[in-house]
Amino acid sequence: MAATTPNEDLMQVDETEKRLRGLMLATLDGDATAYRMLLTDLSRYLRPWFARRLSAAHASHAEDLVQETLLAIHTRRMTYDRTRPFTAWLHAVAHHKFVDHVRRHAIRPTVPLEDDAPVFASDDSASAADRHDVETVLKSVPERTSDLIRQTRIEGATVAEAAARHGMTETAAKVSIHRGLKTLMEKFAGGSR
Amino acid sequence: MTDDLINRLSADLAPVPKRALERRLMLALLIGFAATIVGTFLILDLMMDRPFGGADTALMFWTKFGYTLAFGLLGLAAAPVLVRPEGRSTWPLVVASLLVLLALGSGSMMWMEADWPVSMLMGQTAMVCPWLITLAGLPVLIALLAAMRSLAPRSPTLAGFAAGLIAGGFGAWAYSFYCGETGMLFMAVWYSLGIVMTAALGAVLGRILLRW
Repeated sequence: MAATTPNEDLMQVDETEKRLRGLMLATLDGDATAYRMLLTDLSRYLRPWFARRLSAAHASHAEDLVQETLLAIHTRRMTYDRTRPFTAWLHAVAHHKFVDHVRRHAIRPTVPLEDDAPVFASDDSASAADRHDVETVLKSVPERTSDLIRQTRIEGATVAEAAARHGMTETAAKVSIHRGLKTLMEKFAGGSR
Repeated sequence: MTDDLINRLSADLAPVPKRALERRLMLALLIGFAATIVGTFLILDLMMDRPFGGADTALMFWTKFGYTLAFGLLGLAAAPVLVRPEGRSTWPLVVASLLVLLALGSGSMMWMEADWPVSMLMGQTAMVCPWLITLAGLPVLIALLAAMRSLAPRSPTLAGFAAGLIAGGFGAWAYSFYCGETGMLFMAVWYSLGIVMTAALGAVLGRILLRW
């Protein structure tokens, strides 16, 4: 399905690029299933990428930014050149949306705007499928606990930051995370060790 | 929330044909330029009584023909790149600048050899030429900016500038058919000024209109 192009060999063809570009090419041909997979996948990469760039006080903006970016991908998908790397295009869109959002809301980002860490370096779970499993597992503990675990253990926030977002003390957050992890251990790892 | 959005977007998917972006820009250019052709005829031929036919020395007619068209084509080379989020393209702008310098240089040489007559610089129409060129390019500029609004330029200002360069080039090209000036220096100064004014207008408008 991925149409071969003259400069494909020159591209930095890693697995992510290959998979996402294949989905994008199918999307441009009108394949809604591929499109849904693409957007779902991208939202998983984008969420931590934006979250890392925002301070704790603005963490709630990450979801808005994910949505703004997905919307831009949708309405401006014509600007993707089929012969060029998809990840570079996506990164440019996400970067543009981030800069625009930060300026509009007068937010001080946690990394300099010139820092062009690629979007696809930031999915810290081994793969999006793993990430999906984690989300499923996290559903078995209370929502606040699962969010604390997600923020501290997956998205790389400190306990203090995560606690502040939920308006609780650091100690309470630590206890909550500990209990949540214990529950998960019992349920999925055959009891606490 | 985001899942809802993904559902809505994937239900709304329409295929994008190959080279859709290039075709959109070309279509805008064609529409705009059609208006330019009609507009220049109405204003220059009917209202200002300047018959279609251009400069009376053939060499200068073709020089203006090529000089103006070159800017339009250079803009056309830059625009499809600059309207993309990761698009960078500088060589057309560099070549365009060199072209202006080349024209100014050879125009000055001729002026020097003719012992600096003011008439050679000002011709008959120096005060209206740049304005009329910008006016002639305006329909193309409007059509291109309208087409670019749904695109995603990395720099809205630069994309607007490229639109202005196309508009200025093609506007000046259309204008040259009604222009009787035969001086090289005249073209180098006043035509270039008209094209630069159109490009600058495009940059200013692009900065505002092409944000996304």
